[in-house]
Amino acid sequence: MDATLKEPKKVKAPKKKRIRGIESKKSMYGRMFILPWCIGMLLFFIIPLFQSLIYSFSTVWVEPGLMETELSGLENYKFILNEDPNYTNNLWSAIQSFFRNMPIIIIVSLILAIVLNQKYPGRMIFRSVFFVPVIVATGVVMELLTKNLNGVDAIITLTTETENVYSEGTGGMDFTVVLQSLNFPEEITKTMSGLITNIFNTLWSCGIPIILFLAGLQTIPEQLYEASTVEGATKWEEFWYITLPMLSQTLLLVIIFTMIDLLTQNTNPVIQQAYTLMSAQSVYDQSAAMLWLFFGIIGLGVGIVIFLYTKILLKKWN
Amino acid sequence: MEKENKKINIPEAPKRSIGITKYQIKKNVKQVLTMIARYALLISVSYIVLYPLFALIAYTPMSRTDILDPSVIWFSKHPTTGNLVAAWGALDYLNGLSRTLLVGIVSAIIEVFTCAIAAYGFARFEFKGKNLLFALVLLTAIVPVQILAIPLYLNFRYLDFFGLTKLIGGAFFDNPDFVIDLTETPFTFWLPSLFGVGLRSGLFIFIYRQFFVGLPKELEEASWIDGAGPLKTFFKVVIPSSGVVFLTVTIFSIIWHWNEYHLSVLYFNNKHPLAVALSGVVSYFTQSGINYETAQGAISAACLLFIAPVLIMYMFMQRKFIQSVDRVGIVG
Repeated sequence: MDATLKEPKKVKAPKKKRIRGIESKKSMYGRMFILPWCIGMLLFFIIPLFQSLIYSFSTVWVEPGLMETELSGLENYKFILNEDPNYTNNLWSAIQSFFRNMPIIIIVSLILAIVLNQKYPGRMIFRSVFFVPVIVATGVVMELLTKNLNGVDAIITLTTETENVYSEGTGGMDFTVVLQSLNFPEEITKTMSGLITNIFNTLWSCGIPIILFLAGLQTIPEQLYEASTVEGATKWEEFWYITLPMLSQTLLLVIIFTMIDLLTQNTNPVIQQAYTLMSAQSVYDQSAAMLWLFFGIIGLGVGIVIFLYTKILLKKWN
Repeated sequence: MEKENKKINIPEAPKRSIGITKYQIKKNVKQVLTMIARYALLISVSYIVLYPLFALIAYTPMSRTDILDPSVIWFSKHPTTGNLVAAWGALDYLNGLSRTLLVGIVSAIIEVFTCAIAAYGFARFEFKGKNLLFALVLLTAIVPVQILAIPLYLNFRYLDFFGLTKLIGGAFFDNPDFVIDLTETPFTFWLPSLFGVGLRSGLFIFIYRQFFVGLPKELEEASWIDGAGPLKTFFKVVIPSSGVVFLTVTIFSIIWHWNEYHLSVLYFNNKHPLAVALSGVVSYFTQSGINYETAQGAISAACLLFIAPVLIMYMFMQRKFIQSVDRVGIVG
């Protein structure tokens, strides 16, 4: 009912009067559909979110049966930033790897999705193959596969150091050495070798972005491409003027998804530190502060990206 | 690429030109080159993508002699089942599997429906504050679960929403300190799922909503005119025509529930599901001199056992799943 009252000029007056009853009924039905979700969101999202925010600003200690909190202002934040020896380093490396990996994952998965979307024999097989890392290379399995735990060698070695050892032993090619001998500046050498060793991790994280992009590509009407071919557009122009603008909504979804995926990975050093603090030492206040600071910075960064994206690019494309 | 094919086939069909023109050679060469490049890219990426799976399968049957033998890379020369047996015991496989099924899969199935219901409300009806609430849906999707983990754990450990439990405890059991402890029970996952705020529910509501918005309204209007209520319309008209999106969300939800670790490790100390058991498998092997062939082989076997059910499910459903992704058009 409120919706109809707010925009009365768009609807013709007599029609409005006729449908008003149905509309109010419909809005009631709408509320009915989302009522369970509203309750759940309050209980399992809003309240815990505020609780954890409060923990980060207070001293928390556990008494048998209950948790006691006392507000202490910025104490926890000051402690983790000034006195904790590892936090600032972890924070910095986590933020760096987040903003480094995010664009790579998005670009790589977009390219792969476009290739997978073309028509050629065997494309269904490749499509189903590309989803496999979502099942295999996630969470705990990944951690077991790529880490040296308790003196057991990792099954898959990815780090630069071990690769150097291997290449020296077998006489294989080491990209770092090659790039250095070509007199590239060290910055570029580092990034390049980082990219090469990262390619495994990147491709394993691409499973769902590829699926999302593929779904988005399916919604682009074929006629647009036909029309552009008739007009004489090149493939490059087709990509920038048709594919990308038509994928704008998908791109937003992929950004959001990749963000959650990167943030919640077990390999994230900040999360690891906070989790060990929580589970091993039952320190809930500082760990909460650690997580809030990290997610706050990331949230701010991504918020700016999404804001610019919707304000500039989406406007330009639509 | 289809378009290129057509372009070439059309001039060939009349067979007017006797020899092959330069233009055609150029076109054909270009076509062959793009095909080679495409397959080269796809095959090399597929190799990287499948590499962990290959490694797991290769390491599982490896015995001690195989690990030390430098000529053995992929195929074991002296295959053994010792690793698999050790991993089976370490994971407490059948118990862990049944717990994962009970906790994760049931929760996933509940979530698939409750998220659809909420998303339908967002997609089809107008009401006050809808946009604000939908922004909250996106917020639930974005906020990482780690930040909520401790308060959620405490809420389930000492279940007391708005002091209700204490009230009931005081009134009925004459015990003001009465608390319900839901940890170690599947309700820790079932309850949030039941209210549509389970694992990654925000993302699912978003996917559903985009799909429902794109669904033609006519069928639902016809059902309304025939006198069916909104719930009946939803179950009899909307759900049957949304099979593809349901399949997509079901597969996502099952996989994420299967891999869920951050909350399970807090909620379950003794009766933990497979993912938690798997995370402890390395320390289990290295601490208690369990009989296994090689540590790497045993760990691989454990990982393989862990992913096997989901992998088999995916193998059976992949064709439908990939086709459904084609048709869902997740972002309409």
